[in-house]
Amino acid sequence: MSQPLLEVRDLHTFLSSPRGTARAVDGVNFTVDPGQIRAIVGESGCGKSMTALSIMQLLPEPAGYIDRGQILFEGRDLLDLTWSQMGDVRGNDIAMIFQEPMTSLNPTFTIGNQVRESAIVHGKSKAEAQELALDLLSRVGIENPGATLRQYPYELSGGMRQRVMISIALANRPKLLIADEPTTALDVTVQAQILRLMRDMQRDFGMAILLITHDLGVVAEMADVVSVMYAGQVVEESPVHELFREPKHPYTRDLLASLPSREARGKALRVIGGTVPPSTAWPKGCRYANRCQFCDQVPWETPPPNNDLGDGVRVRCHLFDPGRTDEGRTEKGVPA
Amino acid sequence: MSDAPILSVKGLRKEFGQRGGFLKPKGLKVAVDDVSFDIPKGKTLALVGESGSGKSTVGLMILGLLESTGGEVLFEGRSLASRSAADRHRFRREMQVVFQDPYASLNARMTVREAVTEGMRIHGIGASAAERDDRAKRLVEQVNLDASALDRYPHEFSGGQRQRIAIARALSVEPRFLVLDEPTSALDVSVQSQVLNLLRQLQNDFGLSYLFVTHNLGVVEYLADEVCVMQRGRIVERGTVDEVFDSPKQEYTARLLGSIPSTDPNVRRLTG
Repeated sequence: MSQPLLEVRDLHTFLSSPRGTARAVDGVNFTVDPGQIRAIVGESGCGKSMTALSIMQLLPEPAGYIDRGQILFEGRDLLDLTWSQMGDVRGNDIAMIFQEPMTSLNPTFTIGNQVRESAIVHGKSKAEAQELALDLLSRVGIENPGATLRQYPYELSGGMRQRVMISIALANRPKLLIADEPTTALDVTVQAQILRLMRDMQRDFGMAILLITHDLGVVAEMADVVSVMYAGQVVEESPVHELFREPKHPYTRDLLASLPSREARGKALRVIGGTVPPSTAWPKGCRYANRCQFCDQVPWETPPPNNDLGDGVRVRCHLFDPGRTDEGRTEKGVPA
Repeated sequence: MSDAPILSVKGLRKEFGQRGGFLKPKGLKVAVDDVSFDIPKGKTLALVGESGSGKSTVGLMILGLLESTGGEVLFEGRSLASRSAADRHRFRREMQVVFQDPYASLNARMTVREAVTEGMRIHGIGASAAERDDRAKRLVEQVNLDASALDRYPHEFSGGQRQRIAIARALSVEPRFLVLDEPTSALDVSVQSQVLNLLRQLQNDFGLSYLFVTHNLGVVEYLADEVCVMQRGRIVERGTVDEVFDSPKQEYTARLLGSIPSTDPNVRRLTG
């Protein structure tokens, strides 16, 4: 197998607070191959955004820090780079877009200023940058790029701003785009346009995407491979078709069953009882045990192994432990 | 439907004046234009549309929190405008609202007990403070919170718990009709399902009627009986969930529905 573009190994990102150290990202592993779309999906507080910020080394300071782990980009550990070397990686090799395109654009500069800046910082002349900016804006589907370049962020709609952000991110043809909830603030029709645009860019430029989202619909629509995060860990990793065909981890299954739909009309939706344990004191054993329907069937007091089921599927759950012998265990490990 | 609707909206309209500026004439923005619908007792009507379509403005006008420019809102056949002040006060009890953001809609300086009993006190429900307390206890239990929640403040609760407190507060005055303005949009899906289950159960148990304002079409499919699709202040399509979702008549509705990502990676509607 060829080398992955990005490989995150045993990443631990902590946040210190007066109430103790929050282990926001607690031993996360995943890879992104060239041209691949990996989704990291999870609910608020699961550590997905902190994972993304760790890769870019844009953690909130001074509270956030990477305690240990490796972030290998084309085989080179980004954590060994100096701040200025990392500056070259950011925007050049890896670009990032955020949920709220209003707060990521500077309100006091024109769109043109901001689109050109990224190209100029990374070594293009002003004239080249202008030409590139026009080209980029038309590529992201902005109809009158010349006029848009002269406008300020407040003059644009949310969808237009996100297009501008994407054009800035694409300025230097990055190999990896990290998109943190890129469509969460947008209406569905605009979301559809932005997702289509990201998909086109991935196809046209062979760009890989790390897509951070809480929306399982967006995952199904976009991803090749998926990591489901819960309580600072990846609890399930799977190719996208397998994940939706047969979700394995009880959390993934509960999440999918809690989605409202017409099929569920008149019936109660799955409720995940209880709450996520505090990140300052994760339980020693299974972190989902207090909410899991199967916890009485497993030794939940011990940390579940991360079982490799083959074909790219890994599940951090006792139910799938091949060494497990108790009754009620079906062939693939899942009780019906 | 033999029953008279609990709520009728007829020709509702809202215009906002736009301030003129240098070289910019004063304008009128029509936020809601000739909106009419009926909500039968015990049913849920969903008002869907994108941001700026006017759906929340309709909700606010029904509640009387925003004055309409034209048209009328009839609750059980009677218009709010034609009521006396005392009558209007009584009418307030009948209709309650749950907003999107449970962080903003609860007073941070009131305990849950104060929030839930305030409405009862104003409307003279419960003969004594002790009786109101008793009711407050039953209400928080009804929304699946522990009675110990009563003496705590909103900041001690998660988003889903707060939204259930907001629902308990709305129910405290025994309304028959609720305006639900994006009540689950700020919540995680696992928490959203708690709130949706609760709303469905309350409707079954008490025959409540809902106006559900939302852009979340999955929620609409799950909960609504009828749907009105709004675009630029007007209702462009209406019908039952099956009618609207299975055979949309307007191009706009079809486009809106076609934009929802499905949770089946084999059906990639958006990106092929």
